[in-house]
Amino acid sequence: MSWWTQMALLLIGAALVQNILLTRFIALCSFFGISNSMKTSVGMSLAVIFVMVMASSATWVFYYWVLKPLGVGEFLYIPAFILVIAALVQFVEMYLRKYSPALYRAMGIYLPLITTNCAVLAAATESVKPGFFKMNMPYDFTFPQAVVYTLGVALGYGFALLSFTAMRERLDIAPVPRSLKGAPMSFIAAGLLSLGYIGLGSLFGL
Amino acid sequence: MSEWRRVFFDGLSLENPLTVLMIGLCATLAVSTKFEGAFFMGIAVIFVLVMSNILIAAVRKFTPDEVRIPIFIVIIASFVTIVDLSMKAFVPAIYLFLGVWVPLIVVNCIVLGRAEAFAYHNSVWLSVADGLGMGLGYTIIIALLAAFREIVGSGQLQFLGNTLISLPSWYAGPNIVLLFPGAFIIFGFIIGAQHALNRRLRAKSGKPEPAPAQTGCGGCTGCTK
Repeated sequence: MSWWTQMALLLIGAALVQNILLTRFIALCSFFGISNSMKTSVGMSLAVIFVMVMASSATWVFYYWVLKPLGVGEFLYIPAFILVIAALVQFVEMYLRKYSPALYRAMGIYLPLITTNCAVLAAATESVKPGFFKMNMPYDFTFPQAVVYTLGVALGYGFALLSFTAMRERLDIAPVPRSLKGAPMSFIAAGLLSLGYIGLGSLFGL
Repeated sequence: MSEWRRVFFDGLSLENPLTVLMIGLCATLAVSTKFEGAFFMGIAVIFVLVMSNILIAAVRKFTPDEVRIPIFIVIIASFVTIVDLSMKAFVPAIYLFLGVWVPLIVVNCIVLGRAEAFAYHNSVWLSVADGLGMGLGYTIIIALLAAFREIVGSGQLQFLGNTLISLPSWYAGPNIVLLFPGAFIIFGFIIGAQHALNRRLRAKSGKPEPAPAQTGCGGCTGCTK
């Protein structure tokens, strides 16, 4: 398998086959909380793609250059990663506010929320510990692989969130039984959407 | 006493953490493939919720407002550590099944959300009622979901090595119930049933319909602070 094929498979596998929202139940809070309107979903997806890739790059470097040489990677990575991600998000927010007001307006309010989004921590953890969440990759990721993998996870998040938002906007005007109106119907719709992702499960043997 | 009873029963029905407030969903959907795992998860949540509610209500008078969230987290994390180590020692098989979700009770919206929304503003005695009601409400819903998924999906119900219910051997359960979509769909119907029940309860006690419930992290203010 050439380097490029492997990268493409990693991207597709992370985005569709192991979709973080619909096949692994990570970050469900934001999934149901934000999918009310298309505008917030687009902002959130952009912010997640942006922050997740940066966070994973930072934590990968931090893990392999600081934690592992010190021999504390096994048990100190969770607090260390949370601190790195929180600090990074804070810096990104400050930088954007000063140098790129347009971008800041588009995704500014979502940045602090993302610090507590478990998807970011999960992607950062997985890019140094593949297989932690059962991704079928027994070897350690190199830096480009970690970046591509995280990009895949973030794209999968955005794709699932946007498609679900579109469904929910339709569901609001659909005639459903009174007891199922609102939240229950969104769960059932999410289940049907998730069924589609399960169908991709054996794609390319990933 | 009537206030105590009202708070307790609100946790069970009108303000059930899973079906009405909709917080702490990730762990619920993920561990509800097996009844015994879900049951012990519920017990763990009850313990952590009651104990942290008691301690937080007890120290609420001299907790500075600015640093209350770190204080809550430290209190919750110590009780979660107790649960984590006890489960590892006494029910190792279930501890293996629950895996990462036991330590993740620390960041479970329910525990932090109740600390912030209830225990911080109420007396110790009422906080016990809130912890017990919320914890029992959580346990009932997660046990119901898990029992349904296990019986329909695998045709039997096991508890600590004993088979409690076993369907005839020709029964081949639909696999989807044990997979992720099944969890979403069944949980959707459980919420629907709860809404119908709540409407009836409200009509009986003469309470007005509330505004539509906010989904997602709505009840938990931990992230916005």
